[in-house]
Amino acid sequence: MNVLTWAGVAVIGGAGSLLRFLVDRTVGGRVGGTFPFGTLTVNITGATVLGLVTGLALNHDAALLAGTAAVGSYTTFSTWMLETHRHGEERQLAIAAANIVVSVVLGVAAAMLGQTIGARL
Amino acid sequence: MNEDCLKLTAYFGERQRTEDAFLADALLDLYGDREIATSILLRGVGGFGLRHHLRTDQSLSLSEDPPVAAIAVDTREKIDGLLGDVLKIKRRGLLTLERVRMLREEIGPVTLPEELHEATQLSIYVGRQEHVFRVPAYIAVCDLLHRRGIAGATVFLGVDGTAHGQRERARFFDRNTDVPMMIIAVGSGERIAQVLPELGGLLRRPLITVERVRVCKRDGELFERPHALPGVDEHGLGIWQKIMVYSSESARHDGQPIHRALIRRLRESNVARGATVLRGIWGFHGNHEPHGDKLFQLSRHVPVTTVIIDTPDHIARSFDIIDEVTHETGLVTSEMVPASLSLNDDKHRGGLRLAYHHFQ
Repeated sequence: MNVLTWAGVAVIGGAGSLLRFLVDRTVGGRVGGTFPFGTLTVNITGATVLGLVTGLALNHDAALLAGTAAVGSYTTFSTWMLETHRHGEERQLAIAAANIVVSVVLGVAAAMLGQTIGARL
Repeated sequence: MNEDCLKLTAYFGERQRTEDAFLADALLDLYGDREIATSILLRGVGGFGLRHHLRTDQSLSLSEDPPVAAIAVDTREKIDGLLGDVLKIKRRGLLTLERVRMLREEIGPVTLPEELHEATQLSIYVGRQEHVFRVPAYIAVCDLLHRRGIAGATVFLGVDGTAHGQRERARFFDRNTDVPMMIIAVGSGERIAQVLPELGGLLRRPLITVERVRVCKRDGELFERPHALPGVDEHGLGIWQKIMVYSSESARHDGQPIHRALIRRLRESNVARGATVLRGIWGFHGNHEPHGDKLFQLSRHVPVTTVIIDTPDHIARSFDIIDEVTHETGLVTSEMVPASLSLNDDKHRGGLRLAYHHFQ
């Protein structure tokens, strides 16, 4: 780990969170329903990319930058939890439960898909 | 009682900036400089505006730019003198002017004018940490209103404002003693007139406004549709209308809280030009005891209010949607808005000259 890698993590990490904000806001604003599609989109695309990156078997630094920095900052666990809780607060329990189940099922499938594609490249 | 006061309300997105400050700060700075009798900045939890962008606190990224409402009330001269500077601030959003009566300091026996007897909306401004006999003022006021048979009241927490001309802005490390809160209550003119002197006795420095409203619906029962008003008065000045829907966060329509269902349906309808949802922190409705949130709970129990402002013909069409969504519960009131100006980049619509229209 040299200074360049550290700086790379900081810059790419920052860019990842900005990208998440833009994607989440765009999808959330367009779809407009009650279900948090913005966060779902972010997490599923992130899981696919992370699967792909691990499937590619990159060297240590590249894996750190692509996985931890880029995808790590792009996807979000805390927002997923907060939005689930907010739906619970408004007694929209079906949506709260669906948010958890759909995210887990699609997320694991997306990671598997990404890894399979990555391994074949 | 001062008969001749105006209420200026600005609705806009919180993230909007002027050249060097947030729009909300620029407005409230102006209200502070002019020592406006009372003003309050309320942060909404959902809504949409002319461009039909959805604002909601349900998603984290969208809650970053919530709708806000900045309300300022003072005498007609003070508000008239303010309008020029308010309009100089470039922005998008909606501005409305309404006629109100204001009561300050000593409140003697009150006789409300004949026309207010239909139904009256009361707005009471208190400080966050203001207490009455060791009880927070907003709780004491709600208890009194509830005991006197007023139909309902909702307490809104302000984040900025002026009280008796003094700027009071909420800060993170502060007790925020005098940061304004607004309590809105709706009741029959007679009962409101009875309760006013009592409120005057309860509060240290009362600041209360009174407006005439029509109660359209209560708990699913339709009394009257909003007044069928003409689009313009006899001088050609535009007339607008405001509908307020009071509901509870726990009341639902189609599995959604009423205010969420309302925003979704109104936004999809392409009739309504905008709506804003404000969440209260305390309140009551009908026979329920005043209530708010508790520390540990899964679902919320606070009252929410949806504000819809539009032209009379659009209000008439939106009311069908509102009627459907509130078929079981909720209080729906309507009132005339004599001046409204919507600003959308360079396209302006309406104006701030007050229309006159007498109706029964």
